Amino acid sequence: MPTQTIYTLIKQLFTEKATNPFPVKYTPDNMHDAAELIEEGKLEINPPVEVPEDFRGKLTYDKESCIGCKLCVRVCPSEALVFKEDEGKVKHYVSRCTFCGQCVNICPQSCFEFTQEFLIAGPDKEAEDLVINP
Amino acid sequence: MSDVVNLAVNWGIKSLLVLLVSLLGIFVGLLYKGFDRKITAMMQGRIGPPWTQPFKDIKKLFMKETIIPDTAVPWLFNAAPVFALVAPLVALAYLPLGPFDPIMEGYGGLILLLYLLAIPAVAMALGGLASGSPYATVGSQRELVLMMSYELPLAIAAVALAYNFETFSIAAISSEPVWSTVGGVGLLGFAMILGTLFAVMPGELSKVPFDQAEAETELAGGLFVEYSGRNLGLFYVAEVVKMVFVGTLLIALFFPYHLSSWFSFGGPEVFNGMLLGNLIVDIAFFLFKLLIIIYVAVSVVRVAFARFQIDRASYFYWVPMTVIGLIGTLLVMLEGSMAI
Amino acid sequence: MNEEKEDSTYEVPIGPIHPALKEPFLIKFKLDGEEVVGADPHPGMNHRGIEFMGMHRNPMKVIPLSERICGICSIVHQHMYTTAAEHAVGIEPTNRARYIRAIMCELERIHSHVLWAGVAAHEIGFDTHLHFTWKIREEVMDLLEYITGNRVNYSMWTIGGVRRDITEDMHPKIFETLEYYEDLYEKLEEIFLNDPSIKMRTKDIGILTEEDALSLCGVGPTVRASGVKKDVRIDQPYSAYGDLDMDYVVPSRYGYEDKGDVFSKTLVRLKEVLQSISIIKQCVEKMPEGEITSEDNKAGLLNKLKNMGGEGIGRIEAPRGEAIHYVRLKEGEEDIDVWKVRASTYNNLATYGPMFMGEQIADIPIIAASIDPCIGCMDRAEITDVNTGETRTYSEEELHELSVQKTEELVDGGIE
Repeated sequence: MPTQTIYTLIKQLFTEKATNPFPVKYTPDNMHDAAELIEEGKLEINPPVEVPEDFRGKLTYDKESCIGCKLCVRVCPSEALVFKEDEGKVKHYVSRCTFCGQCVNICPQSCFEFTQEFLIAGPDKEAEDLVINP
Repeated sequence: MSDVVNLAVNWGIKSLLVLLVSLLGIFVGLLYKGFDRKITAMMQGRIGPPWTQPFKDIKKLFMKETIIPDTAVPWLFNAAPVFALVAPLVALAYLPLGPFDPIMEGYGGLILLLYLLAIPAVAMALGGLASGSPYATVGSQRELVLMMSYELPLAIAAVALAYNFETFSIAAISSEPVWSTVGGVGLLGFAMILGTLFAVMPGELSKVPFDQAEAETELAGGLFVEYSGRNLGLFYVAEVVKMVFVGTLLIALFFPYHLSSWFSFGGPEVFNGMLLGNLIVDIAFFLFKLLIIIYVAVSVVRVAFARFQIDRASYFYWVPMTVIGLIGTLLVMLEGSMAI
Repeated sequence: MNEEKEDSTYEVPIGPIHPALKEPFLIKFKLDGEEVVGADPHPGMNHRGIEFMGMHRNPMKVIPLSERICGICSIVHQHMYTTAAEHAVGIEPTNRARYIRAIMCELERIHSHVLWAGVAAHEIGFDTHLHFTWKIREEVMDLLEYITGNRVNYSMWTIGGVRRDITEDMHPKIFETLEYYEDLYEKLEEIFLNDPSIKMRTKDIGILTEEDALSLCGVGPTVRASGVKKDVRIDQPYSAYGDLDMDYVVPSRYGYEDKGDVFSKTLVRLKEVLQSISIIKQCVEKMPEGEITSEDNKAGLLNKLKNMGGEGIGRIEAPRGEAIHYVRLKEGEEDIDVWKVRASTYNNLATYGPMFMGEQIADIPIIAASIDPCIGCMDRAEITDVNTGETRTYSEEELHELSVQKTEELVDGGIE
């Protein structure tokens, strides 16, 4: 039963593959070792797919211009923004953020801005780069 | 006295050879399983797993805990994978492997091989029934139905070959390519029989479109649903050895060509008067033929069709394939009667 | 087991976790050999209490929450929720926002239907087409990411409009993607409507007659495949759909029989991809100038939502069929008072009964998939008696009584 499918399949044998080889083509035998090797620079990782211009990545927070109006805290759906009473500023837990950007829209001082950075997962949610203004 | 010693030495060598062939069969099977997975992935536009993935799978399965469910019949549950593995391994000893004659030549022929081919399917079905899960029960029923279906075209093919060569000995059948023993009508007949055998192969190996017994999306693994660890690993090995077995059988019956019969590659004489160069080239050619057969009958078919419903799969083997096989046999017999 | 053997039937549970189902869900099948003689769906395995969570948050916080009801129809749930909230406080979205909303909804429809086609192929053991359809789905995902900045949960909606504009310089990329699908469409049809082995597995399988479709109140492509002309986009236009040229997608329009089998459902979904492409083109062409949201002052909006009360309904045609959100706000209260979601799968689940009857085990996965079930959207609660731990079903009368009781409670204002 030769069908159109078989013809397509044989053709696809030689065309470019759709799999995204990020971060490495084949899963390493030991993830932990591989992560260490990457950190030491001994293992190269394939670059991720490019993100569009208006991508919603990790937020930046402009602490200086913040006036402490608490509007962002009121609209944050995942309680990633916590108001610090003593300082009058907000603390941002990146690990809780859902990247909805309601804080970006509501902030009267435009303190928040999206970046293109998205490789932010880590084992420790309290890590230095995962809490902004700790 | 020396007769007894000779006999003992002879059998000793034979058992060592069987062991060696078994290990090689497992190795080649796993290698080709890796090939199958890689090539199907590439046909689907994916990168796919590395070639070594089946070896890693086996290693992992044998490391894992083997769970026997409370509802199972333990001895049958544990014995089924062993039977499923041993049968195709034994069969390899009765098959000509590339340039070598069968190890157990003279002790069994085509009929024995047909029985050995049926044992893994029966063992799998028994294992499924013994595991006491409704999914496995349905899977076992399907496996048995499927087995009964594809045995018919398979038996017809065996009869046609035996009629043509007037023997059931596999060594005799493979000593001369079947295509050169007949002309005109007989060629057409054997081509039809070969076609049915290619159709039987995915059913024999439980691959899509005939993987109803496992049917991941329907039965969640069917008769393997309760198997884990070492037992599942044994089934895995059994499956790949069966692939080598069926492929080798097809080669022995229909493509017993050797490159060395056309060209000589020289080298010193090493074994039974064969030259080293010829030996290496013939083994490589045999492995290549096996690869092509697995690619055509397993890999391409596996990705190009949807899974059939069990009744349609049965119908496919019982009606179209059986009819084609019978017509092929009749043509072969016609040729035979004309020759007389 | 012994007494079951006497009438030669046996029970096989499909679910709660099973490869045929993409989400936790249980259907208990009564089988006679390979034939299905009874099907009993047991929902309630994937209840996450999202409505309850929403009732403890203010309306702005619920927008991102609402799209997390379902991973695939995130635009749909956002749209329904914001429409309901707008309805409750009497805010009108701007005209430009209406068109952008329609474009986004149709992009999601393409994404959902192409994904469904892949799942359907996987259910019948045809993984090649699963990989193919999911590969081409990437294009529309990329486009959605390009427009909204997010790949799955888009957070594009706000009360009063949308949060990101579709500008002129985005048009080339949109048209490029639409052309990509137009070019591939023929191949999709060749695969799903003409391939012999797919045809064998889908034709005359899981038939839903027009009569059953109407009496069981099915929605969306599931009943349109049976020839029922039912589509909220045309029956009660929302967003920009009133201005657009479109017609009901039923198999008879394309020279096929309105049979209601899996094949018809596939056909309807594929044709809807084509329809969506045409709708997006019309929207982009006709898009009026203007603001993208009528409530630019977000802080003011937040206070307005707090100070105003009211109740509203959002009713739209999701890729899976009609779905409804109900929202009630209470004057002077920050949090939402009542939020009720009714997704399309809830209606379509009832159609499982006639569809499964008399079919084979082998057809269970494809029939289960044929309504494109979304359990995450649908699951509400399972009634379990705390004292005995037994699950029970309520009769129609009991349920009616409970509903009346609940409505009275709501009217009195006491909800807990």
